[in-house]
Amino acid sequence: MTKISKASETENIVSGRRDFFRKSAVFSVSAMAAASVMAPVKIDAEELKGDPAILEEQPWGTTFGFPVTHNLYGQPSPYEHNVTRRNTKLLSSGNWYASIAMCPIQDMNGIITPNGLFFSRSHGGTAEIDPNKHRLMIHGLVEKTLVLTMDELKRYPSVSRIHFIECPANGGPEWRNPQFPSIQFAKGMMSCAEWTGVYIKDILKDLGLKPNARWMLAEGADNSHMGRTIPIDKVLDDAMIVWAQNGEALRPEQGYPIRLLVPGWEGNLCVKWLCRLEFADEPFYAKEETAKYTALKKSGKAIQHFYANEVNSVITSPCPEKPWTDLKKGDIVEIEGLAWSGMGTIEGVDITFDGGKNWVEASLKGLVLPKAWTRFSFIYKWDGKPIILGSRARDDAGHIQPTVKHEREVMGVESVYHRNGIHTWEVTAKGEVNNVQVLS
Amino acid sequence: MFKSYRNILLSAAIIAAASTTLFAGSDASRTYANGKKVIDGGSTYPVKKGKTSSYYVNEKAHKTAFHMGRPATADEIKAWNIDIMPDGTGLPEGKGTVEEGDAIYEEKCAACHFDFGTGGAGYPALQKGNAYEGQKSLTNQRVDGNDEGPIRVFGTYWPRASTLWWYIKTGMPHPAPLSLSDDEVYALCAYIISINELEIDGEELDDEYELNREKFLKLVMPNKDGFIPKIDGKNGLENTRKFFNDFSNYGNGTRCMKNCFDGEPKIARIQGVGISDYQPPLSNKKDLPPKKEGAGGEHPGKKAYEASCSVCHGTDAMGAPMVGNKKAWEAILKKGIDKVYHNAIHGINGMPPKGGTSLPDEKIKEIVDYMVSEAK
Repeated sequence: MTKISKASETENIVSGRRDFFRKSAVFSVSAMAAASVMAPVKIDAEELKGDPAILEEQPWGTTFGFPVTHNLYGQPSPYEHNVTRRNTKLLSSGNWYASIAMCPIQDMNGIITPNGLFFSRSHGGTAEIDPNKHRLMIHGLVEKTLVLTMDELKRYPSVSRIHFIECPANGGPEWRNPQFPSIQFAKGMMSCAEWTGVYIKDILKDLGLKPNARWMLAEGADNSHMGRTIPIDKVLDDAMIVWAQNGEALRPEQGYPIRLLVPGWEGNLCVKWLCRLEFADEPFYAKEETAKYTALKKSGKAIQHFYANEVNSVITSPCPEKPWTDLKKGDIVEIEGLAWSGMGTIEGVDITFDGGKNWVEASLKGLVLPKAWTRFSFIYKWDGKPIILGSRARDDAGHIQPTVKHEREVMGVESVYHRNGIHTWEVTAKGEVNNVQVLS
Repeated sequence: MFKSYRNILLSAAIIAAASTTLFAGSDASRTYANGKKVIDGGSTYPVKKGKTSSYYVNEKAHKTAFHMGRPATADEIKAWNIDIMPDGTGLPEGKGTVEEGDAIYEEKCAACHFDFGTGGAGYPALQKGNAYEGQKSLTNQRVDGNDEGPIRVFGTYWPRASTLWWYIKTGMPHPAPLSLSDDEVYALCAYIISINELEIDGEELDDEYELNREKFLKLVMPNKDGFIPKIDGKNGLENTRKFFNDFSNYGNGTRCMKNCFDGEPKIARIQGVGISDYQPPLSNKKDLPPKKEGAGGEHPGKKAYEASCSVCHGTDAMGAPMVGNKKAWEAILKKGIDKVYHNAIHGINGMPPKGGTSLPDEKIKEIVDYMVSEAK
């Protein structure tokens, strides 16, 4: 790339304006070196026409960057500091220990969430466990009990799978009305990563389950001693104990050194800081499967053991955080979003521009995997008029996202959990994006 | 090898190896190879030609038994086996009266759950009056102007009493789980049962009532039949499979493409500004983060504050001055810093001496300094 302001190129520069720029640039580079002033060079707009980002020398092109010894564990650019998890008091049990930090899904690309941005929910703070003092115990209705160190656990043949984890309360504050002018808060109780660990069924090969083992308790070693009951069907299908996330050790917020992963199921079931598995013939009735994580229907009966997060989707561009305020009438734009189902693989996504009266099919793009975030895309020419934009996903088990109206007819509005009704955004003539619900 | 182990392995292998209901264009199956429906109402992905879905599999790795680790000792199992099951498995002997529970509650629980378990400020209520009456509220829906929602507290909602004992023993008090003796847990259970106006064997729990293991196991919860599917007993798993494979139990959409309703869409909007007090506030800016004053070292009182004080002082809901609340701290500092140290060490209003910790005076002062510095 040729830079017009390099001192060695003076011979070729004939324009008087350029000559002026060369002099001022050379002067300012030496001034910067002398005074360590990081401000860009000031150029008289009359003299040069164009983008100062192109016309002016930048300090990163004219000085050393950091040596490789800097940040031996890499960090995001400081300019990305606004891409971060966020909290709100409303979703906090009086303090920040039993609380949730939402994933900035408006800023996510592809289907993998960086580890530092993965949504985080704990019931008694983020435990920081010494892996040397952590054990996994398996007991109960097994022929042989088991204690494993973390090193021993990692000797089993490993499996890597891409799965989302979603809190079943994702979107739950909006059962009665839209509440959040934000996608991060409306849908950010989820993230997706590649997990590495071992199938529990592979460990059981050595232990032997007793025939009356129907349920498995998974328990964490943290302050909350979170327990959840898992049916044996899932244990013998795809339940895993995982120690790695996107290629590195789990983050403390995700249960370091190990967590349970029950692909597609409630995030709460993926017990973090896992220390104990107990097999039994009857379910355990742990605190977070009765007091909470049960979906109360309008009949007054509550669904318990509501394992899988149902098929769901949301348009991530545009959204309240990423509006179309920079677009003009007639601009062609990509509408993009995320679809996911804890019950299977996304088969397709339809989108609507008129609040769900008429629909067209969007394209899926990228990897389409079971129980994983799936990207969808639609190329659209915006005529500058207000629209009500929504998406409707379906999976390979035959589930289709219901309308908000249908979901309320079945569940009422007091369920708290497992809301997967069609999510809609209103795009105004100015390109602003509002969170709305369609009740038709 | 054990016979039962063979059986289980066999079924696991069948689950993994074959399928009956395949979808076009997908290797998903709605049933496990043993013929049973996938329990959550979804799909499973058997290994076929060395692959499950898009993932390649080393099939030998999953057909081999690996002999890692060692058996647990009886003492180890006893130390960790802390769950309490509805039939009383795991529930130890012990006793405690309502009156004793009341006293423990005042000391260790009321700071968060408030007097008589009324809850508030994000901490759950432990009762909302007579539980038998409250249970009837579970059909309430906050729609069409009705603002009375269902009451979901221990007495009105929870199906099993065992959950209460287990929860208190292993999760409470929130900053210090596993710190209560079994007798203290029985006393607290007695107190909570009494404020919910629940009866055991037809008897209400007065102050002198002494709860023990036998009596506790007789407590029948008003909402014991309030949950679906039925997970107990031999048919528990089958009930669960049936329930989630009937999509009408929780709703399923239809793929309508044209004219899906009459007229214009009926739109519900956020009321006012909605919920928008986010930390940190939303921003798309790509700029450098604001520089924190005095950056380069964490305040020496910060860690101890977070460990011992933030449960109350981290929020303005507890009546304790919230860290970072300028106004509240200005008012306090008017007393002079020595008085603030004194109060922190000796207690003031609802705050016990040293906030209930046994930290040395100097550490308490350091924590106060930190809290003051945060309000500047």
